[in-house]
Amino acid sequence: MAEMSKRRLSKILVNSDLPLLKKISDQAEALAEIRVERAPQTSLVMMKAKDSVSTQPFYMGEVLVTECTVSINDKFGIGVVIGEQPERAYRMAAIDAAFNAGLPIVKEWGPLLIAEEARLAERQNMESARVSESRVNFDTMEEFHDQH
Amino acid sequence: MGYVAVTGGQAAIETANNLTQWYRLKDSDRSLKVEDIEHQMRQLINRVMGEGGLYAPEYAAIAVKQAEGDPAEAAFLMRAYRSTLARNYYSETIEPEKMRVIRRISSSFKDIPGGQILGPTYDYTHRLLNFDLRDENHRDALNQILDHLSIDPKHMSVKLTFQKVTDLLREQGLVGNPDPQEQKPFDMTRQKLTFPASRSARLQALSRGETGAMTALAYSSLRGYGAVHPTIGELRVGYAGVAIAYPYDEKESLYIGEMMLTEVETINSFTLNDDGAITFRLGYGLVFGQNETKAIAMAILEQSLETKGKSPTQDEEFVLLHIDSVEANGFVSHLKLPHYITFQSKLDVLRQSRKISMEQKKNEMRDFKGQEV
Repeated sequence: MAEMSKRRLSKILVNSDLPLLKKISDQAEALAEIRVERAPQTSLVMMKAKDSVSTQPFYMGEVLVTECTVSINDKFGIGVVIGEQPERAYRMAAIDAAFNAGLPIVKEWGPLLIAEEARLAERQNMESARVSESRVNFDTMEEFHDQH
Repeated sequence: MGYVAVTGGQAAIETANNLTQWYRLKDSDRSLKVEDIEHQMRQLINRVMGEGGLYAPEYAAIAVKQAEGDPAEAAFLMRAYRSTLARNYYSETIEPEKMRVIRRISSSFKDIPGGQILGPTYDYTHRLLNFDLRDENHRDALNQILDHLSIDPKHMSVKLTFQKVTDLLREQGLVGNPDPQEQKPFDMTRQKLTFPASRSARLQALSRGETGAMTALAYSSLRGYGAVHPTIGELRVGYAGVAIAYPYDEKESLYIGEMMLTEVETINSFTLNDDGAITFRLGYGLVFGQNETKAIAMAILEQSLETKGKSPTQDEEFVLLHIDSVEANGFVSHLKLPHYITFQSKLDVLRQSRKISMEQKKNEMRDFKGQEV
């Protein structure tokens, strides 16, 4: 679990149920003082996208995010999430800081976070499976006449 | 002529604002829930987010409610709001190739690797008013739909990510190889748009352009006031993950969520490359949400601007300056504001001209009568 990349961890945290985030960040709060460095606030992220024709990037517009920075034992943690979600941003920052500060409790979170990751994959697979039912084959009339 | 101050209007303005709210609510017995607008008016929300240049579905829903459903006013509210916020991050480059697709079609190739997926679309639906919506019960309707949306267990492991059709064409040498050196994009929200505009500036302007204006201009190009009549190589709608750099370790990145995008690649005419090979010319469109007509229009206009000619859609100043919803609406509706000085000067000119012409007429008449004598 210690090797989990920040990208993977943040993807789980962005999509997790809020009660789970609350539960595990409360555990961190019970063990160490969480200092709010920057309270949750809304800000913007400019979206850079790749134009697949020129393969060069361009800015397509901004996305609203909520961001929060906290620290535990002088180790910072950050939570940034799309939309106005102050509590999630704070909980994400606290969990990130707990990892960065190396709180022993994080070892216990591993299985919970991995189970949450599996639930997200399951949800996405369900959606993909539903969408897959609208797969279609187009036949031209030439082929139709060839077959009949 | 001088400046004329309008006084004594504060109470009237307050009344006007209250009247707007009264007209918004007077014939209803309940207030619209922002959540309902956000989730059940997807197409409108997507338009407002795109034209406002701000991806924030909940805020777009508030804007729609506040604007009583006027997309231009709602986009204006979104632009005004975004200008109050700090921009603290730039995203890592989004690559729609990796998007989790919910719809993907090609009108150029019937057999695209991975197949064609209709996804959510009205394209094949009879345009008949559905009166059942009048008394729709949310739970019953959803359950009924879920009963019809069967899931084949073998599809549970299907990953809906696909290689791009254009990449396949590129592999076959049918599309030119672009410059591998990444250039810094232009940002029209920070820099003044000047002409000729760079490709990245054009794409940014088009991506936040007004759907109707872009559709009208793209339509004109198809009908002969331009040179572009493409086929769709690929249209895809899906979720793209967004990440930013992790501030405490440059090797790491932070995932912040996913957003829905519509991407279109069109196949146009042929072009002669620098190396002498004939290849396809492609058009590109990428917009917020599911907004397919705008994405196609973007690809048409982008390609039209890449070609030389005298048609309106080949004039980038004409296209890029006139597709902006906020600018266009602001400029047209500013005519409602006091123009007393402007009009007074017109009136003065008219009176002066009439006076001169009357005198001229009088003189001519006198001369004529003098000749008669």
